[in-house]
Amino acid sequence: MNGGRALSEPVPSANSELFRLPEAAVGILLILPAILLLLSLTLYPVLYGVWISFFNKHSFFPQQTFIGFDNYISLLRDPEFWASVWRGTVYALSTIVLQIILGVAAALLLNEVFPGRNILRGIVIFPYVVPTVVAVIVWKWLLNSQFGLVNYLIEKAGLVDQPISFMGKDWIMVSLIIVSVWQFFPFVVIGVLARLQTIPDELYDAAKVDGGNAWQRFVYVTLPQLKSVLFVIVLLRSIWMFTKFDTPWLMIQGGGAETYIRTLPIYTYMRTFAYYEAGLGSAMAVVMFLALAGAAVLYFRIWRREENL
Amino acid sequence: MHMSRMVALATALTVGIAAPALAQDKLVRVWHTETEPQTIKAFNDLARRFEAKNPGIKIEAEGLAWTDLEGKIMASLAAGSPPELSHGQPITCTALQSKGLLNPLDEVMKAIGEDNIWEQVKRVCNVGGKQFGLVHAAGTSLLIYRKDMADKAGLKPPKTWNDFLANAKALTQSTKGDGKIDIYGITLPGDNLFINILMGELIKSNGGALFDKNNKPLFTDQKMIEVLEFWRELVKYAPPGWEGDGYLQTFQNLYGQKAAMMFQGYGRGAGLIEKFAPKEKANDKTFDVWSKPVGPSGKEPGVQVDEEPWMLFKDAKHQKEAIEFLKFFYQDDNYLEYVSTVPIHLFPITKSLRASPKYQNLEMIQRWKGWIEVQQGYLDKDQGKPTLVVDWSDMTEKPYLLEVLGSGIVRDMVMDVVLEKWEPKRAADKAQRRLEDLLRSKGYLKG
Repeated sequence: MNGGRALSEPVPSANSELFRLPEAAVGILLILPAILLLLSLTLYPVLYGVWISFFNKHSFFPQQTFIGFDNYISLLRDPEFWASVWRGTVYALSTIVLQIILGVAAALLLNEVFPGRNILRGIVIFPYVVPTVVAVIVWKWLLNSQFGLVNYLIEKAGLVDQPISFMGKDWIMVSLIIVSVWQFFPFVVIGVLARLQTIPDELYDAAKVDGGNAWQRFVYVTLPQLKSVLFVIVLLRSIWMFTKFDTPWLMIQGGGAETYIRTLPIYTYMRTFAYYEAGLGSAMAVVMFLALAGAAVLYFRIWRREENL
Repeated sequence: MHMSRMVALATALTVGIAAPALAQDKLVRVWHTETEPQTIKAFNDLARRFEAKNPGIKIEAEGLAWTDLEGKIMASLAAGSPPELSHGQPITCTALQSKGLLNPLDEVMKAIGEDNIWEQVKRVCNVGGKQFGLVHAAGTSLLIYRKDMADKAGLKPPKTWNDFLANAKALTQSTKGDGKIDIYGITLPGDNLFINILMGELIKSNGGALFDKNNKPLFTDQKMIEVLEFWRELVKYAPPGWEGDGYLQTFQNLYGQKAAMMFQGYGRGAGLIEKFAPKEKANDKTFDVWSKPVGPSGKEPGVQVDEEPWMLFKDAKHQKEAIEFLKFFYQDDNYLEYVSTVPIHLFPITKSLRASPKYQNLEMIQRWKGWIEVQQGYLDKDQGKPTLVVDWSDMTEKPYLLEVLGSGIVRDMVMDVVLEKWEPKRAADKAQRRLEDLLRSKGYLKG
């Protein structure tokens, strides 16, 4: 007698029954190494950053002293901290608004059918794929007060008498916004264009039948359809533009009125790597995170209220 | 698997991993700040010749911009893997030595011959009689001016700041006759490093100091106020938006004929002028140097000496090999090849090379002799000091100067006066408070 088992089947031993894990457990064990790696590379540095924000810690040497909330009190009292928050807000809001306007306009245009549309789509995406270092270096040359193409063209057109110093105190924030909008509006184009292509034509046909002109069709058909994708785009772009470090940092390398584009990420870097105050730098990063998280929660709440109306 | 097979596999694996390590060359990593292509090439050629004479040693050289260097050094120290050798600002050398992170280079000094090295150079990063930094080459900052324009306007070399302002005003001109200024009297860089360099020069030239013996900042002193007042007047003759100009842009302004004087020029400007200025103007008859003027409270000019020392890191792996490389570097023929890549800027630190006919007869030195003589004069009279160093004792007694440089407080103070139009006293008070907080937080200032 073999208990109904085929002769070719292996006879299970008493031991293998004991060691058979549930399938769910096997699945967890298999993905556990990847999760642990991910957590160690993301969660651990974040938690460590929060930890050292309660210490007076040199950025490069091991000495550290526990000081409680002193770093937070110190930065809330620092006028330069508030000035950098203000500059960062101006930069982020300006670039987001312009990216959205330019991105939606470009997406609307690229949604139409015309000869060369595909080539134009490729050209429009180009700024987004250019590495930031390359983009900033090229733009700094374009905006150079002595040799730059932009000054040459605007002087030739008679728009200005003297070249504009685009890296000087009066224009450097504008220059930074121009470069950032140019580089990141394609992100908006991609998202909006994808959504535009899923809007049923019947909605536009119905609007035409009701006598709606182009502007009315945009406001009453297109925009409502874009709401959900714009929600995501605005959220992501806000977080990224407020925490942007590379573009403003590169703008001030080799000359640039640094003080006037010293946003919070730049100031955080300075306190950490120029003042060598890792504790204070971490406190600034924590404050930035909490502010952005709070803004995101508020944003979701407003969005949900809009959806429920 | 049989035990014997497992042993054989383990042995093979061990030998396979260890053998490449055993056969590996000793890698000496060298970071330097000379990024001009001809200097990088000369340095790399030198390194290859050293490797040919010393099999088993590999030199990995990297040229870094000034602005990148300090951050990279600090990051490598924090990671526990510094290079064997690196350039650094003299104040960086002092700061690192004070934390016990460097080993002395006395052995290299002995190989060169201590009497063969200029005294000024030996003062850089010399602590307790040991040389923790050995300058790779020294060049001073220069007041470069358009000699053709100055001669035409009948201008004399400025002895005081007031003379200098008058010259700057006279050289701010509309050359096309349309009333629009197209040449400005002065070009100045607006970035943090150069603002700090200029601050060091001006306070020295005005007989002042930045910190007292107890590390208290002296920013509200009358001599500092005079410096800020001079700066406020000086920028009136600089191109609009000068604060956005970097160091290289100021050279462009000079040879591009947008500005007639450059307060913080350096010897390497001669090479840039020869490369980029109009051919008929690319000489020292058009671009000459004046001695720097003195402030109302000063007696003699103060200039910055661009003299990064080599530093040998305590935690580096191949220190003996690094020392041998430096000895090779300073041998006259090798050293000449290096300094002759930018001869008006890279002054050799050895008397033997500087006196040698091979060096003196370099074509570029012959063409720009006036530039060399002014620099030599500053060095001979001990008027040249490193960035933010006012007195040589600062090198050992003020290890926080690197943090002062990085903090941007000096730059912010200057910008508050010259751009935001604050009264100098108000800007100085703010900088004083910020510096006191900084030094107190680091433990350098008590009370």
